[in-house]
Amino acid sequence: MRLPPVIMDNGTGYTKLGFAGNSEPSFVFPTVIATRDSANTGASGTSAPSKTSHLSGNIASKRGIEDLDFYIGNEALSNSKTYGLHYPIRHGQIDNWDQMERFWEQSIFKYLRCEPEDHYFLLTEPPLNAPENREQTAEIMFESFNIQGLYIAVQAVLALAASWTSKKVADKVLTGTVIDSGDGVTHVIPVAEGYVIGSSIKHIPIAGRDITYYVQQLLRDRGETSIPPEDSLKVAESIKERYSYVCQDIVKEFKKSDQEADNFFQKYQGIHSPYEVDVGFERFLGPEIFFNPEIASSDFLTPLPNVVDNVIQSCPIDVRRGLYKNIVLSGGSTMFKGFDKRLHRDMKRAVDARVKRSEELSGGTMKAKEIDVKVISHKKQRYAVWYGGSLLGSTPVFNSYCHTKAEYEEHGPSICRHNRVFGSMG
Amino acid sequence: MRSNTLRPYLAAVRSTLTAALCVENFSSQVAERHNNPEVEARLSSLEVVVNPLTISRNKHEKVLIEPSVNSIRVSIKIKQADEIERILCHKFTRFMMIRAENFIILRRKPIILVDFIIQFMEEVDKEISEMKLSLNTRARTVAESYLLQFT
Amino acid sequence: MILLDYHNVVIEETLTQPIVNVIPTALDMIVVDFDSVSYHISTSESTSVIKFSISMQCYKELVQWGAQDMLQREYGPYCVSNTEEGYDFTLEFNLQNLPEDKEQREGLVKKLALIKRNLLAQPFERAFEQQAKFEEEKQTNPVSDLMQIHYRDQEAIYIQAQLDRVTVIFSTLFKEETDRLFGKVFLQEFVDARRRPNLQNAPQVLYSSKEPPLEIRHLPELKNANKNEDIGYVTFGDVREKTISQIQLFRDYLHYHIKCSKAYMHSRMRARVQAFLKVLNRAKPELPNVEKKTITLVILYI
Repeated sequence: MRLPPVIMDNGTGYTKLGFAGNSEPSFVFPTVIATRDSANTGASGTSAPSKTSHLSGNIASKRGIEDLDFYIGNEALSNSKTYGLHYPIRHGQIDNWDQMERFWEQSIFKYLRCEPEDHYFLLTEPPLNAPENREQTAEIMFESFNIQGLYIAVQAVLALAASWTSKKVADKVLTGTVIDSGDGVTHVIPVAEGYVIGSSIKHIPIAGRDITYYVQQLLRDRGETSIPPEDSLKVAESIKERYSYVCQDIVKEFKKSDQEADNFFQKYQGIHSPYEVDVGFERFLGPEIFFNPEIASSDFLTPLPNVVDNVIQSCPIDVRRGLYKNIVLSGGSTMFKGFDKRLHRDMKRAVDARVKRSEELSGGTMKAKEIDVKVISHKKQRYAVWYGGSLLGSTPVFNSYCHTKAEYEEHGPSICRHNRVFGSMG
Repeated sequence: MRSNTLRPYLAAVRSTLTAALCVENFSSQVAERHNNPEVEARLSSLEVVVNPLTISRNKHEKVLIEPSVNSIRVSIKIKQADEIERILCHKFTRFMMIRAENFIILRRKPIILVDFIIQFMEEVDKEISEMKLSLNTRARTVAESYLLQFT
Repeated sequence: MILLDYHNVVIEETLTQPIVNVIPTALDMIVVDFDSVSYHISTSESTSVIKFSISMQCYKELVQWGAQDMLQREYGPYCVSNTEEGYDFTLEFNLQNLPEDKEQREGLVKKLALIKRNLLAQPFERAFEQQAKFEEEKQTNPVSDLMQIHYRDQEAIYIQAQLDRVTVIFSTLFKEETDRLFGKVFLQEFVDARRRPNLQNAPQVLYSSKEPPLEIRHLPELKNANKNEDIGYVTFGDVREKTISQIQLFRDYLHYHIKCSKAYMHSRMRARVQAFLKVLNRAKPELPNVEKKTITLVILYI
């Protein structure tokens, strides 16, 4: 029996681990590592090979395996009193290779419990990742862990593949615009036939965390004094996760909720101590900051639909229709009810207005074919990148797309600078 | 005994390198407006490539220095006493090779380049023997921790 | 983490919700474990019936040594006869028929997370029984089975009960030269460890590469095998019953630590290369501080 490939999606905030063919990752935990050598932090390898860290001296290093004294994920967080916390990934890219290598070590042996020699691996990378990083990843995977084969996939491409699970998607193409919104930042990434159009990528500094802060602020402004200050952020977060949705029209929504106040307002029960919080307009005002950023932020003011429209307009003309037709959502902060509808409506308006204007400018002599705007929302959206990896990893041709250990040994790490794009696979 | 010979060995390498690094700009005699490292290209007449020379500390450790008018090539043989040292040396040199692009030596101050080579020679031996030592320590702890469960 | 866990964390976490908390959850999950073991946890039409299947390369061999009795004994009420295709056996849990007591349900999940350990423990337990019998009957020249468990491709465990001891032999394959050489260093320390005063009671360890140890040399599969340097044999003399869990994981423990050592070497080399670069970058000539002026490009149309 062939053992399933391992799918590892190491994000800035969270790591998703599991096996191909499953619909959900087996583990989701923060990408954090707790180590003893708190003095030895900093970016990868900036510390010289100081004698204290490797050789002599302190008790921890006496046995020669002080580098095994660490925790990852939730265990790391719960040991933060005695260990130093480090985040090996910054802005999507691996920042500290020493820590990352150990993070993988424990991911594989402690959590997934597999012998890496028996498996193929699919790892993910952010768009525009440097090829050197891919080489270093391959070096670790093949030389330290002896894995059988490696495929490094671009996260946005996997998110596209994940959308094939939606009924709305008729043909399985790797062309589309991915809106990936996690906790820290939102990316808009256009992909044409499996390749990211790097020059057109846009990042938006509004994501899950900002919604939480905004909800927290709204609660505070309204004078919800019953919330203990230490719970404040947690309460805001769970109100966001449980009750929030995207409305279609903010003015109407205010009116409607005032009229149907009984139905609309919810009660939130306290976590530790008994208290109650009214949940009101923040239900729809939270996610509204994607569409009207000025309500919460003073430095970033472009609404998300406009950003997406601009991104597509900056792409080569021959792929634009494909990009409008397949706008794919990924990440936890795109999960709000009505998010896809609102995005679709706002974008459709902007696109139609532009088409109409150019028709007018032509003096009515030219008639444009209508541009099809489609926003795809699906069930696996939260861990879309991981799920896309799981889909690809479970196809029978997956192994033939990987670089094998034999190839690595024959050609060296540079072979992993590039991975073939998956064609549309069934 | 060993360490006694290290200093004169490194001193010999240093002075040879210092002498050899008296390079000058030298246009290619073959291709117009080209300026090739003669030691690599060997296109021009033989006079521009000076006799190579080897400095040996012993059978296992030596340095080959090939000077030429505008470039020099240094090859170092690192001590590998047993198969563990051999594999560690192989690992280490391969590791450096992968990162070769970071080691920029063109258009650098020659004196400090010599410092670099000497320091490299000193430390690479040290690093390999430290790695070997730490491997043994690790192995001991690992074996001990495992077997302690049985007592 | 120095020692590996015995239980499977994924199984434990996946089954806690439906079995311990009795909250029906739709499941369809493949989970793996060390030594080419894989599980399939699934619910079909009704989320209140969970199927738990396991596939193990050496299952047929384990049946010979009493695996089925163990399954009946430990997981009996949940065993079903219609085994899922592609798997070696299947357990089924109906959420309506679980033990009333929450602690018992927790125990059940714990036991499932240990199922691979329990299966692989069978031949060991059998060997200990045999050895006890030999001792009791004071047999002078006992004949016992040499139990072979081919738990991975090209790697096997051999167990034999003798009059005064149980001997366990692992054959292991090193996939690359670094592993082989590191492995040799590690195994030499296992052999030498008993010299230390605190480890005198530990089982005696012998190590050989290429040449199989005497106990198994007669096996046809080893007789004809070419003397491959990449294969090592580790013999544990006098293994005790209470350490079945630990001894099973020997191969995985060894290879885990070989990999950790390689990772450690990587971090050393990274630091060293960084230090070299620091020295080298001192050789950068300082750029003369020239004031940079903007050049305006004028295009002349002629």
